[in-house]
Amino acid sequence: MFVEGFLRIILCAALAIALTTASAIAQVLPSQPITMLGGRVVVGGEVSASIASSADRGYFNYTDYEHNALRLVRLGVTGAVRLGSRASVLTEIRTENLDTIRPYALYLRIRPWLDRPIDIQAGLIPPIFGAFMRRSYGPDRPLIGYPLAYQYLTSLRPDATPATVRDLLRNRGAGWHTYYSVGSKAGDQGVPLVTGFRWDTGVEVRIGSRPVEVSAALTTGTLSNPRVRDDNSGKQASAHLTIQPTTGLILGLSTARGAFLARRVTSSLPVSLRDAGYNQYAFGADMEYSRDHWLVRAEGIWSFWRIPLPLDRAHADPLRASAVSIEGRYKVGPPLYIAGRFDRLGFSTISDGIRRLSWEIPVTRLELGGGYYLQRNIIGKLVYQWNWRHTQYEPFAGYAAAQLVYWF
Amino acid sequence: MLPASRPSLRSRSTLNRSAGSSRRGPRRALSGLAIATVLTVFVSPAARGTIRGRVDLGRVPVAAERRPNVADLGMPEARGAPERRPSVVYLEIAPRPAFEEREEAHARMDQRRESFVPHVLAIAAGTTVDFPNNDHTYHNVFSLSKARPFDLGRYGAGRSKAVRFDRPGIVRVFCEIHSHMSAFVLVFGHRFFSVTDPEGRYAIDNVPPGTYTVKVWNEALAAEPRQVSLLEDGGDVELNFSLGQK
Repeated sequence: MFVEGFLRIILCAALAIALTTASAIAQVLPSQPITMLGGRVVVGGEVSASIASSADRGYFNYTDYEHNALRLVRLGVTGAVRLGSRASVLTEIRTENLDTIRPYALYLRIRPWLDRPIDIQAGLIPPIFGAFMRRSYGPDRPLIGYPLAYQYLTSLRPDATPATVRDLLRNRGAGWHTYYSVGSKAGDQGVPLVTGFRWDTGVEVRIGSRPVEVSAALTTGTLSNPRVRDDNSGKQASAHLTIQPTTGLILGLSTARGAFLARRVTSSLPVSLRDAGYNQYAFGADMEYSRDHWLVRAEGIWSFWRIPLPLDRAHADPLRASAVSIEGRYKVGPPLYIAGRFDRLGFSTISDGIRRLSWEIPVTRLELGGGYYLQRNIIGKLVYQWNWRHTQYEPFAGYAAAQLVYWF
Repeated sequence: MLPASRPSLRSRSTLNRSAGSSRRGPRRALSGLAIATVLTVFVSPAARGTIRGRVDLGRVPVAAERRPNVADLGMPEARGAPERRPSVVYLEIAPRPAFEEREEAHARMDQRRESFVPHVLAIAAGTTVDFPNNDHTYHNVFSLSKARPFDLGRYGAGRSKAVRFDRPGIVRVFCEIHSHMSAFVLVFGHRFFSVTDPEGRYAIDNVPPGTYTVKVWNEALAAEPRQVSLLEDGGDVELNFSLGQK
């Protein structure tokens, strides 16, 4: 409570200072970050408000913070404090729907040798896996919704696990509220392939600069379940390779492997099943190409979870999920762009002895829309999102959504 | 075609609805440049003079910093610091020959080390500005200014795109990829303007005799307009400005 209250005060104060300082200078909304102490402290901010035409009855846009990604008010303040030429502290404090205020990022960045492109970051750090998470929310994301891989909740949970295949299949398509018989008995939401709403804690190193960069990280949680505090004595190792063969083309390859299940789950398993390595491991490939008024992005993620099925030990294969996302944007004129994204989330199959089904229900999403720059740092977005889920419960949902984003 | 020294001159007035109320910010400060009325004044074929002087900045505006991008995996590359000291001194109502030939003028605003060079460019209406990319990365020059909205799209090093500015006004220029990159193009309906040098000096040459209101524009600072008279026999007139908070 104390921490949250403190963060709330910091957030409000920072925004107030930023707005009033800049307003006093320009008599308009701030259009650039606020600089203090001779450039040592830089504060930026972002406010976005999204509204959808109807409630998300099919839970297609439900996030792991129990919000609808299309009905979201987000307030964030970013800050950078330069500690000399080699080090700086960076943070982002964020609230969604004005309920919980939490640090989204808080880490120390060090460049040990100024003449060598080696950077070390430690703390609550940005993920190196994939590409989507490193794009800023307002200006870099042309649409409102998230790619399925980063938001759609599967039925898997780190604090509970099914005892049988049937137990697993019973929760298909119910990622917003799943029940399992091993571990926590309470109903709770599942996890996405890679969460787009939280960052992990640890250390990362980036080596190189254009055209080749390599990053590696050691963190506490996993892609699905980033954590501040360890819950299973396991670490996640991840790596990313970025290649820019030519200006405008960026290619990336990612991999990650980390202990997924919480200790409270594994400790409740039979002794013979406790040390089987219940990991999430994933591979990703991403691409971005831009030229003139076009921008095209594509990303593929393949995630595997090895989970115990204590009463169905014959099933030793990991559960697999694959996500493909293709996004494009075309700038029609100075203030206007149109954009679209196609998403597909698929899952491997498993047999309960009677039938063979995918362990989760495949989902397809298409989002089309556009944006209009009211001024350089204020965008209005309007989209329509179609969602298909191959199930009898809410097999289709379409939402119109609008968003206003302002940043400085 | 009449000679340029024809006694009858048309005077173009850059009526300035908001430059006087400079507290409304730099975007509006010269919006009146877009409004031009044509007045007819009679000026004898006398020698022309120069208005010169110095613009003193109380403080140098702080260069815009990058937004703190917490998602970066390391320190961003060093960038060029934009020169934010330049001011533009100009005549509010400027004489212009009735049948002045329009030249096909070209100017240049470079993109180097994630910075526009120069940071402030003053041109006459009808000038085409080239935006060459001499950086190692993509840039996307654009403007949402009413005087000349444009979007050049993304293009890489070694390429250049151009924009012709026909309407007087202030055009704020940005890069869509690098939010810390910004610049100003001030488009005038006449040629009686001057951008200050690094020491703050300026000179407006070839000004016909007469009484003029001289204004100064700076992106962060302001000064009251000043009146100046040039005599029939030409010569220089010194006019200094001291800028303060807008």
